[in-house]
Amino acid sequence: MDFLSFIGDNLQIFLSYTGFANATSGHLIMIAVGLVFIYLAIAKEFEPMLLIPIGFGILIGNIPFKDAGLQLGIYEEGSVLNILYQGVTSGWYPPLIFLGIGAMTDFSALISNPKLMLIGAAAQFGIFGAYILALLWGFDPSQAGAIGIIGGADGPTAIFLSSKLAPNLMGAIAVSAYSYMALVPVIQPPIMRLLTTKSERVIRMKPPRVVSQTEKIIFPIVGLLLTCFLVPSGLPLLGMLFFGNLIKESGVTRRLAETARGPLIDVITILLGITVGASTQATQFLTLSSLKIFGLGALSFVIATTTGVLFVKFFNIFLGKDNKINPLIGNAGVSAVPDSARISQVVGLEYDSSNYLLMHAMGPNVAGVIGSAVAAGVLLGFLG
Amino acid sequence: MNGMNRLIRGLRVKPAMTVGLLLLCAVFSVQAQRTSSLKINEILVINETNFQDDYGIQRPWIEIYNSSAGTVNMAGCYLTINATDARLYQADNKLTLRDIYGSNDPRIYPVPKGDVLTKVRPNQHLLFWADGRPTRGTFHLSFMLDTEQPNFIALFDSDGRTFIDSVTVPAGQVADISYGLVHDGWSQKRLDEEIRLNQSYTGGTKLWKPFTQVTPSSNNFILDKSDKVENFKKNDASGAGMTVTAMGVVFVALLALFLSFKYVGKTAVRMSKKRAMQTSGMTEEQASVSTGMSGELFAAIALAIYEATELHDEENTILTIQHTARNYSPWSSKIQTLRELPIRK
Repeated sequence: MDFLSFIGDNLQIFLSYTGFANATSGHLIMIAVGLVFIYLAIAKEFEPMLLIPIGFGILIGNIPFKDAGLQLGIYEEGSVLNILYQGVTSGWYPPLIFLGIGAMTDFSALISNPKLMLIGAAAQFGIFGAYILALLWGFDPSQAGAIGIIGGADGPTAIFLSSKLAPNLMGAIAVSAYSYMALVPVIQPPIMRLLTTKSERVIRMKPPRVVSQTEKIIFPIVGLLLTCFLVPSGLPLLGMLFFGNLIKESGVTRRLAETARGPLIDVITILLGITVGASTQATQFLTLSSLKIFGLGALSFVIATTTGVLFVKFFNIFLGKDNKINPLIGNAGVSAVPDSARISQVVGLEYDSSNYLLMHAMGPNVAGVIGSAVAAGVLLGFLG
Repeated sequence: MNGMNRLIRGLRVKPAMTVGLLLLCAVFSVQAQRTSSLKINEILVINETNFQDDYGIQRPWIEIYNSSAGTVNMAGCYLTINATDARLYQADNKLTLRDIYGSNDPRIYPVPKGDVLTKVRPNQHLLFWADGRPTRGTFHLSFMLDTEQPNFIALFDSDGRTFIDSVTVPAGQVADISYGLVHDGWSQKRLDEEIRLNQSYTGGTKLWKPFTQVTPSSNNFILDKSDKVENFKKNDASGAGMTVTAMGVVFVALLALFLSFKYVGKTAVRMSKKRAMQTSGMTEEQASVSTGMSGELFAAIALAIYEATELHDEENTILTIQHTARNYSPWSSKIQTLRELPIRK
């Protein structure tokens, strides 16, 4: 009898440690969210490189367990997940991602038609539109700045800035930014169609000229000096972006470039995705603030797309007949490389099956990356 | 022969230039980590009922502050009340404190080396007890402060001649009231800047002031909120100011890039035209046509030739141009990694 009760007690203790005994509705909701992410990534191929690690990370982060000091959760100091999460909290994953982005980005489209850079600047209104709305919804300026950066449509930048300005909101901001980046094929096309006329959608742009290697080498050096002298707080992101691009374009550091755009960015993407996903523990994540952040994130993408397209229309007023820009590339200013540029191409082809806008859209697209990093630097400088 | 000489000169110059540049980098990086960011921050000359040392005794103290964002090691630095010799402050000074005042002057205290506690973390403080009992530990100075006369206190680097910071504490100090910087680590220049830029600053125009609330090993000015954030809350509740300013900066940054590359592009096109004209004797018109040929155009021509000359079915393929040139490097050469097997004869 004693032995049986001993076994029974042990089983009861064991049961109290299982996920079944500790599950709350919050955990189940978050697990459902994680499954939706994984579904979108596999079935719809929406940003699978991001949504698979984040989605699975959400599952990892929301396995319920008894808080018994076993160093399991991402928020428990010394746990494996916590150690990996330090790259996010101390902000060194995003610059390494930017290094890889720099090493894989071809700035030729931008160099051959530099006026496209201004579209990348205009689309940053999404950040500040969301900033204004976040202030209206009761967030303080530093939280509003961190939320606003979702409109930059740049995951690493969003994580970097939120880790500095509002670490407690970082999980919600990161998940929101990556979710909407994955959903740009859903969000952007209706806005692009709404704001353009049929004749504008079939504007054919001049093919980009051939860019010499010297120009490609000069670009990251001048880019770094100009942008970082103006906004030194953008240095971690812009410094790595332009450095990555220089090792790509210099032609003499091929192995470094291949490592940066290959194994390095892959490793960091895995670690970043899985830890950001795991940071969405229901107890920390399911709050009213998170819901507000998701709402603001959607609005910021809408504002960024709108201002990008409208800016091109405005810009066209000042351009000659042969130099007009197709406003369908305005959406690409929100960065989200290369998805938003791909959307310009797809929507453009719907109206003219031989009008290829991809190369042109890549210009504002990469300018958007620079623009959002500069905007993040400004916010950090003002509010950090 | 001339060519050979030039080559030899070139070989000598390149390593020299590389070494020179590396040295320059090293000098600047060392400069960045130096002890120059240490500041004398707060001094209590008459300690009657205030902070106690590790022996439970109230003694005068001197607080040092690290105003940089990196950890600085104070080991080997000199804290002194005897550094009035004008030669020490000349730009070309070669004399050390020891050369001038001798190696046994108790008014000069070298911070002992080998104690991990002499490392001052970023924006943190270190407290030294001016009790004249250096045998009591690293932080007990070999001199005391004068309670009647002004006290000149100076900090020198570990070479004994590089001046870091000094302050003269006026005579007539009151018991348990310290004399400190209005803000930790501030210089006169920083204070002037604050007064100029921050109209709501109420700290006065003096860099040093007496503190009735003494703050040993903690900040002289307690910061309980972010000034920047408060400023935005107060003056830009709608966010319009931030939007205008930040978007202005973003546009200026990208406009600067646009203008730079507009002219870089023009120059590049002009140069490539010129090169084409020089090498093949083309006219300006021919050259401008040749520079306008893009990779896509070559791909289209290749596809057209392929379609016109080859017999094949309808294929779902994407034609791309791929560079196949491989740069040789002994680091990646397969032959370099092969093990040479012994040859049996």
